[in-house]
Amino acid sequence: MHRSRVFRPLSYVLGLLPIATALAADPGVSGRVVDAGGKGVAGAVVFVQSPADSAAPTGGHPRAAMDQVNKTFVPGVLPVAVGTEVRFPNHDQIQHHVYSFSRTKSFELPLYKGQDAPPVLFDKPGVVKIGCNIHDWMSAVILVLPSRHYSVTDADGRFTLSDLPAGDYTLAAWHESSRTKLEETLRPIHVTRNGGEVSASTATDAATSGITFTLTLAPVRSRPPIHGTRRDP
Amino acid sequence: MKWWARSSLRTRIFLAFSALLLAVLIATLGLAGLIVSREAQRTLSRELLTTGEVFEELLAERTDRLETNSILLASDFALKRVIATHYEPQTYDPQTLASVALNYQRRIGVDLLWIADETGVLLAGSPAGAAGRSIAGSSPLREAIETQQAATAIAEVDGALLQLVAVPVLGPDVIGFLVLGQAIDDALARRLREDTGSEISFLTESRVFASSWPVQTRDRLLPAGEARTALLRGPTAHKTSLLTLDGERFLSLVAPVDARITEPLHALVQGSYDKALAPLRALQRRIAAIGAVALIGALLTGIALAGGITAPVRALVDGMREVVKGNLRFRSKIEREDEIGFLARSFNEMVGGLEEREHIKNTFGRFVSRDVAEAVLGGRVPLAGERREASILFQDIRGFTHLSEKLDPATLLRMLNQFFTEAVAAVEAEGGVVKQFTGDGVMALFGVPKAYHDHAERAVRAALGIVMRLEALNEQLRSQGLPALAIGAGIHTGDVVAGLIGPDERVEYGVVGEAVNLASRVESLTKDMQATVLVSKEIASRLGPGFILGRTAVLPVRGSTQAVHVVEVLGFERQTMTLSAPVQA
Repeated sequence: MHRSRVFRPLSYVLGLLPIATALAADPGVSGRVVDAGGKGVAGAVVFVQSPADSAAPTGGHPRAAMDQVNKTFVPGVLPVAVGTEVRFPNHDQIQHHVYSFSRTKSFELPLYKGQDAPPVLFDKPGVVKIGCNIHDWMSAVILVLPSRHYSVTDADGRFTLSDLPAGDYTLAAWHESSRTKLEETLRPIHVTRNGGEVSASTATDAATSGITFTLTLAPVRSRPPIHGTRRDP
Repeated sequence: MKWWARSSLRTRIFLAFSALLLAVLIATLGLAGLIVSREAQRTLSRELLTTGEVFEELLAERTDRLETNSILLASDFALKRVIATHYEPQTYDPQTLASVALNYQRRIGVDLLWIADETGVLLAGSPAGAAGRSIAGSSPLREAIETQQAATAIAEVDGALLQLVAVPVLGPDVIGFLVLGQAIDDALARRLREDTGSEISFLTESRVFASSWPVQTRDRLLPAGEARTALLRGPTAHKTSLLTLDGERFLSLVAPVDARITEPLHALVQGSYDKALAPLRALQRRIAAIGAVALIGALLTGIALAGGITAPVRALVDGMREVVKGNLRFRSKIEREDEIGFLARSFNEMVGGLEEREHIKNTFGRFVSRDVAEAVLGGRVPLAGERREASILFQDIRGFTHLSEKLDPATLLRMLNQFFTEAVAAVEAEGGVVKQFTGDGVMALFGVPKAYHDHAERAVRAALGIVMRLEALNEQLRSQGLPALAIGAGIHTGDVVAGLIGPDERVEYGVVGEAVNLASRVESLTKDMQATVLVSKEIASRLGPGFILGRTAVLPVRGSTQAVHVVEVLGFERQTMTLSAPVQA
């Protein structure tokens, strides 16, 4: 899918993520996602591909929400860890019919209003495209990740994985418009912790704070209205 | 052009008139034909171009409708749900998909409906296709996969030409493609014909995909082989060309059709030129008929008009023929105020003049010599007079006074006239002219007005002639118991002045001079000499052999101091006459 889209401000995304806010003080592992031209890519997701975060939290599934405001899914891209239950609260005065036919997760929330729709459990990693049956332009992505360590890049393409314990990881970068396969973005790193200092090293990047992912993005295309805009026309 | 020169005025006017009318008619017809056929071709060309545009619009409209239908269909949630089943092997049910394809094909009334997955693998089709094979490379699906948007193309599917639309099915990203097709077939061609009135065919150089022509006539009414190749490869953009097929002329327009097939596809629009021309031909025939009637009418008018002009001319010509024949009494009866009338009046005046002249000539002829009359009337007599040499003969009847007392006047005049008739005949026989009758004799001139070199001999022969004729007359008179006549004739020659003498009204030809007086004297000497024919020695000296001369004498002449030398003439050659003593009455 290569659709023009406008991301919500990153802070707003982060505000919905209690984990990220809790560990805000942690300097974490940071880096940048850039496109072929070296420009920062906003809205990309950098996450730990392996090892999978098997340590499922006790006391039920983590929760997340994909809101519907003004006939738009908010956020447009929602990364969640495997096993997360995502609710789809409807803040509009009209009904929505949320569905997905994705291989990762196929589900349907037939016409409903308000907060009462049952949460949907995303139990397989992968990309889940969400749509609304009665509003063609409404679409969003729920990125189901194998671990709970992920970060969404800011407007300048910067990311920070702030709560990584010391150890070896493989990082991956994903963007909705990326043409670079996920396998090609894989980046093994080694994280060491020394008091408050966190350093990460890779085979190529000597610097601890300069992990750079380069993604080839599909050119932005204009689409005929109705048949594919993500927002209320 | 001899016949033209020979033909009558009437024929010429008529022919010229007819030729002009015919030329105008032919020019009108020719021009009308030219304009009409040009206009027909222009109109037909316009129609064909319109058909071409209508056809293009129709195709575009069909494509739009097909695309809209496809998009609407692709947005059907149930369809999306069914298509999404192919993601999971346990939910994938090709038979259900096939029946869904059939259902949707019927629902929107298309000729073809394919369901493919997001990579272009055929999941199901109606008409049924081989599910599982990739159709990703076929147009327009290839474009749709590339752009993730709806794409259209005209392509060939199993030998049929179809307008195809491929649209992505979004759920909400692309979960598959729908390909819908509408056939470009004979039915479409026929519908186009009904809408536009022009025949339309879809063909390549080697194949005819669809045509509004009935199948059985297609071979004849569509250009084939090289003609088709030439037509399709020729300059086609909005240009029409004339083709004769099966004996009928067609104006043809070739419009290229963008299609994803091996050969370039063309739409051939045909309109019958002959049929388009038919009503105009009928019009032309009507014009020709009206023209023919007008021509006949005009010709009749022409005949009448030519007759009107030439009839009086012909009457004048007939009159002229009469005049040529000598009928000077002919008068034209034409009374008109125009040029013809003037001609007729002039003709009458002219013939009147001729008649009067002839009358004068005849009248003259009775009293004077015909030669003189003709010379005068012919204008051969110089009005100023001329000096000429001539012989002058005076003749006199002996004892006429005595005779006139003895005979009754009628008998006398009859005798006199009988004698004069003979005398005139004798004079004219020798080319002389009788100048005047002197009561009992004549005065005759030789050498004027007609010149003779032997006027002297002529005069003498004339005198002898009179004598001879008189002998015959005397025989006659004696047999009637009337007295015989005797004459004397004197001749002299010399210079005279000849010309017209007298006042205008009574002018006459005459001679004056001493010679005339002398001739008269010589005549008077015949009584003294008891001679019948006496000539002056000037005459005698001019006489050739054959004249028999008698006595000579030199005698005094009254009124003249000179004596006159005279010679008696007795005869001429063997016609010797016995000039006996003068007959005493």
